[in-house]
Amino acid sequence: MKHYLALIHIDLKLAFRQRTVIFFNYLFPFLIFFVFAELYRSRGGNSGMEFVLRFSLSIGLLGSGLFGAGIRAIQEREMNILRRYKVTPITPIPLLAASIVTGWVIFMPYVFMVFSLAHYAYKMAWPAHLAGLFLFIAIALAAFRAIGLVVASVANSMQEGTILVQLFYFPMLLLSGATVAVTDLPKWMHVVPKFVPSSYFVQGLESMLHGGSLAQNWEKLLVQIVAFAVGMVVSARMFRWEKEEKISRASKLWIAAVLLPFFARGIWEILSKR
Amino acid sequence: MNPDSVIVVEQLRKSYDALEAVKGIEFEVKGGEVFGILGPNGAGKTTTVEILEGLRPRSGGLAMVLGFDPEKQTQQLKDRIGVCLQATNLPAKMRTHEALDLFASFYSRGVSTQKLLERLQLWDKRNAFYETLSGGQKQRLALALALVNDPQLLFLDEPTTGLDPQIRLEIHRLIEELKSEKRTVVLTTHYIEEAERLCDRVAIMDEGKIVAMGTPRELQSRSSNVSLIQIVLAQPLTQAELPRWPDAVSSVLEQEGRGLTVRSTRPARTLVEVMKWMDTQGLQLEDIHLHRPTLEDVFVELTGKKLRD
Repeated sequence: MKHYLALIHIDLKLAFRQRTVIFFNYLFPFLIFFVFAELYRSRGGNSGMEFVLRFSLSIGLLGSGLFGAGIRAIQEREMNILRRYKVTPITPIPLLAASIVTGWVIFMPYVFMVFSLAHYAYKMAWPAHLAGLFLFIAIALAAFRAIGLVVASVANSMQEGTILVQLFYFPMLLLSGATVAVTDLPKWMHVVPKFVPSSYFVQGLESMLHGGSLAQNWEKLLVQIVAFAVGMVVSARMFRWEKEEKISRASKLWIAAVLLPFFARGIWEILSKR
Repeated sequence: MNPDSVIVVEQLRKSYDALEAVKGIEFEVKGGEVFGILGPNGAGKTTTVEILEGLRPRSGGLAMVLGFDPEKQTQQLKDRIGVCLQATNLPAKMRTHEALDLFASFYSRGVSTQKLLERLQLWDKRNAFYETLSGGQKQRLALALALVNDPQLLFLDEPTTGLDPQIRLEIHRLIEELKSEKRTVVLTTHYIEEAERLCDRVAIMDEGKIVAMGTPRELQSRSSNVSLIQIVLAQPLTQAELPRWPDAVSSVLEQEGRGLTVRSTRPARTLVEVMKWMDTQGLQLEDIHLHRPTLEDVFVELTGKKLRD
């Protein structure tokens, strides 16, 4: 257990020593929050602030998952840092677990701060199930960090990893309803968000901002829990300590495994509506 | 199999697709011994060592390290050994003492990290970020990390490559200290003087095979045993003036007739004869060197290659 704690401790220290971590986890999402909060202030009520929260939390969540966990893991492998860990008796599991816990410790205070700002500075009412909402966000964060770790596991180089991360990041930001409402998309595209992992986070967040409970959003919660579990298993299985260990193109299909819960949920939703 | 053996390797093979990197090598390393694996880049020495460290699976043969099979009892083995890798890194913003504390947490036993920092002369740098350390300090930290679990067996993979001579000497002194503490050290290197100075026994590898093995002195005596006598004269000579000295294999003039190189199978006797001849000719001596055959000579004789090719 001591190595889990030591890894979490050092991960946190290293994270807070990186200016990029501070910028992308706090400064940039806060900037987005304040710019849009001011823009929507005149509208009054909760709806403007709900959009602002949806937008800034989605940016923070995706950034933490894909860049904070994914790109960082690739960087450590490319720089031969993981190679040094390889000669010790530890397995990949404590390293992956430390990445998830670090994500929580860095991101959850931001969540608390934006909700406090929304309430005290912009007069948004507290959500009815605040603790449940925080738990929902924490689980979603774990799921997206697991997706980031799977991306890191299947990418053979930083170049490949960056492309994969961008392929996930922009569709998840633009097609989830976080930035553009699904109803504003062309009709033929309305089906797309059902297969976009971040849609379930956005839908759950929206529902809980409107007073929904965690129990009412159990499907969205379940899909994130399954994605997290599958992501951790796949990234532990595919974990590579050295940049020289390349994986085959076929093995890259493991990335589909972590997306499977979202696809399954999307198909189920379409079929159940029919 | 010798009961004192810490490492036993029999018919060890490793292939990467069509490439056979290690071709059925055999050796044993006894407790408390510094065992050198010498060879040029691509000889298979790093692959061999990484199999023994439990980092790579073998394609065939047997390997036992501290009584563990590196492929099957990997975690137990890793807990007991210390490893200093050839190419490795730590996060730029990690402090020296943090690295030691972190790595100490990975093992079931350990030593005082403060004592390690003092021993490796890193105490003044304990709060320095990894990115600010010099090459020598980074290598000393790598050695400190290899010692953090107080291992009885250490693998040092080219620990002085790329370091300046002063730091190489410091690391040599540390390896000698480890030897005096009766720790077993497996050292891979392509520096001849390192192997000659530090190793009790040396295996010379080339193209995945061990081409010679023994103490440095044994290996040197296995060469054709030709020593070089190099003399710098005050006045130039011509080749025609040189006599044939007893036991001299060849005599060559260089540096516009002022540099005389005599190759001899019995250098002491030849040297006396050369000195007598110079005296009778009234020649002034400016400098003289006697070179015994080195492991490099042995390697060149065995493989036809230079070690740093």
